[in-house]
Amino acid sequence: MALLVVPACLLVLALLVGPMILMFRISLNQFHPTQMMVQALSPENYIKAATDPYYQQIIVATLGIALLCTLLTLVLAFPAAYWLGRMESRWKSLAVIATLFPLLVGNVVRSAGWMALFARGGLVNLVLLKLGITSEPLEIMYTPKAVVIGIIAVVLPYMILTLAAVIESIPRDLEDAAANLGASGFRIFWRVILPLSVPGVAAGSILVFVLCMNTYATAVLLGGPRFKMMAPAVYDQFVRGNNWPMGATLAFMLLAVTMVFTVFGSVAFARRYKTA
Amino acid sequence: MISRRHFLSATAGAAALATNLPAARAEGGQIVVGTWGGDYGQLLSDIIDKPILIPKGYEIVQDIANNDPRKTKLLAERQSRRGSMDVALLSDSDMYIVAQSGTFDPIDAKQVTRLDKVFPELRSDIAIPHIYSAQVILYNTNQVKTPPQSFADLWDPKWRGRVGLADILYPNNTLAAALAGGGGPSNLDPAEKKLLEWRSLDVKIYPSNEALAAALKSEEVWLTTMWLARGFMWKKAGIPLGHVVPKEGAPAIVFQGSVPKNAKNKQGAFAYLDAMLDAKAQVGFADKMGYVPTVTDAVLPEDLAVQVSLSEAERARLLKPDYAYAAARTQRTQDFWNKEFKG
Repeated sequence: MALLVVPACLLVLALLVGPMILMFRISLNQFHPTQMMVQALSPENYIKAATDPYYQQIIVATLGIALLCTLLTLVLAFPAAYWLGRMESRWKSLAVIATLFPLLVGNVVRSAGWMALFARGGLVNLVLLKLGITSEPLEIMYTPKAVVIGIIAVVLPYMILTLAAVIESIPRDLEDAAANLGASGFRIFWRVILPLSVPGVAAGSILVFVLCMNTYATAVLLGGPRFKMMAPAVYDQFVRGNNWPMGATLAFMLLAVTMVFTVFGSVAFARRYKTA
Repeated sequence: MISRRHFLSATAGAAALATNLPAARAEGGQIVVGTWGGDYGQLLSDIIDKPILIPKGYEIVQDIANNDPRKTKLLAERQSRRGSMDVALLSDSDMYIVAQSGTFDPIDAKQVTRLDKVFPELRSDIAIPHIYSAQVILYNTNQVKTPPQSFADLWDPKWRGRVGLADILYPNNTLAAALAGGGGPSNLDPAEKKLLEWRSLDVKIYPSNEALAAALKSEEVWLTTMWLARGFMWKKAGIPLGHVVPKEGAPAIVFQGSVPKNAKNKQGAFAYLDAMLDAKAQVGFADKMGYVPTVTDAVLPEDLAVQVSLSEAERARLLKPDYAYAAARTQRTQDFWNKEFKG
C-alpha cells in the first residue's frame, strides 16, 4: 500500500523540492546589475530582508491582510456553509456547483471585473452618484479595501465547501437535543455546531490563509502600485529588478512566515479543541 | 534490385538535395522574435513579417512579453548553448544592461545591409535602432489652458493631485525628476528630493501606461511625462492631449533589436534586423505608432512629421541617456522609487 504514494512523492520531489533547493542556493548569491548574479555563499540577502523596514512593512501588511481576509471569509462563509451542509433538497448538487462557479473564472479575469466596478467611473461610483449617496466618486480602486474584497471573493468558495463538508457530518439530532433542552439558536451554534465544526474551521482557515498570503494578481490589479504584499514584491525583484538572489530570499521568507503561522495555528486549534 | 540507372539518379538526387540544404539554411527557417505584444507585435507582423520575410521563406514566431521578463529571460539563458530567441527587442537602456553580460553578437554589417542608412548618432555595435521617440510632457487640453513649459513646472502646487505617472516607467520618471531638480542623465541625485516633493503634491501612480491613459481620458489626472509617440497614439484614440518638449531637454528613447549569441537561426535573425530598417516599414511604424524612423531614407509625410517629429530647436534639446551610469544605479533607482517614493 505504501508504494501507492511513491508516484506523487516523486513528482513533488522533482517539481517542488528540486527547484526549491536551487532557489535556496540562488538566495545565497549576490546581485550584480549587469551580470544578474555573482556566485557567493552569503547570508547578506536574508539579513537585508529581515532588517530593512521596507520588507518588514511588507511582511506585516501581508500578514495583516491575510489574517483579516481569513477572519472575514470565515464569518461570511459559515452561514452559507451551514445552509449547504444541512441542505437535503435535490438542488444540493446545483448549489455546490454554484458555490464552485467563481473558481471557474481565473483570478485575472475576475479582478478585471472588479476593476470595472471599482473604477472612479465604474458601476459602484455611478450608482452611488446617481442615488445621491455621494457627491464625489469614492476612491476604491488601488486601496486595501479593493484588495480585501477581491481576495475574499476568490477564497470564499474554498471556505464554504470545507466547512459544509464538516457541518454535514454533524448529526442533526444533536441540535434537536440541545433545542429540546431549551437552548436558543445562538446557544446551539455556540455550544454545539461551532465546537464540532472546528476541524473544518481549522482546515478552511489554514487553506484560505495560505492562499491569502500568496495573493498576487488581486494585489497587483486591485491594490495598484502603492499597495504592497509579498508575492508582488518577489515578482518585482525577479522580473523588474533582475535581482534573483533577493527575489529568492523574499520567497523563502514568505514561505517561512506562512509555515510558522500555519503550524502555530494548527497546534493552537488542536490544543484548544482537543476535547471537542 | 537496384539498377545502375536507379542508383545514379538516386545519388544525383541526394547530391542535389545536399547542395540545396545549405541554401535552405542560408535563407529561410523559423525566426523567434522576443517582442512586445499589442500594437507593436501586430505591426511587426503586418509591416515586416508578411510583406518582407514570409515571401523569402521565413516563418516568424513572436515570443510576446514585456521588457522586464524578456530581459530576465535573456540573462537567464545566456549560458545555454541554445537560446529561445533569435531576435531580442528591448529599450536602449535595457539592451545596454543585457549586453554587458556578453549576451549579444555584434551587428554584422554584411548581413544587415541597411546599416549604412541608420542615423550615425543612433548606431550601436550590438543592436540596430528600430524606432525612437522623446520623453515629453503630455497634458489634457480641456483642463490645462496654460501648459507647463518644463519638467520643473509639474511641481507647481496648482497641479496638486493632477499629475499622473506610470509605475513601469520609474527610471524615466526618476530622470524627469532629476532634470527638474537640476540633474540630468548622468546625475540622478536631485531626483530623490524632487520625488518626495512630488509625493507630497499627491502625484498619482498608475500600474501601466494603459491605466494612465484611462486616467487622462477620464480627467482624473491632467498631466504626465511620457513618450511623444505614445501621446500620438493616445490622441488618435480620442484623448484630448497636447505636448510640450520640456525646457530642461527631452530624454530620447530608442527601441532596439539584437541577436543573442545563442540564437538558433542567426542568418534569419540578421535578415529580420535588416527588414526592421526597411524604409517603408519605418514609415508604417511612424504612421501607426508615432515613433520616428531611424534611417535616413524613410521620409514621413509632412502632416505626420509635424505630429511625431521634433523641430530643429527641439531636437537640439534631445538628451542621450548615460547607460553606464543608469545601469550602475539601477538598484538604487528602483529601491528609492519603491521604498521612499511609493512607500
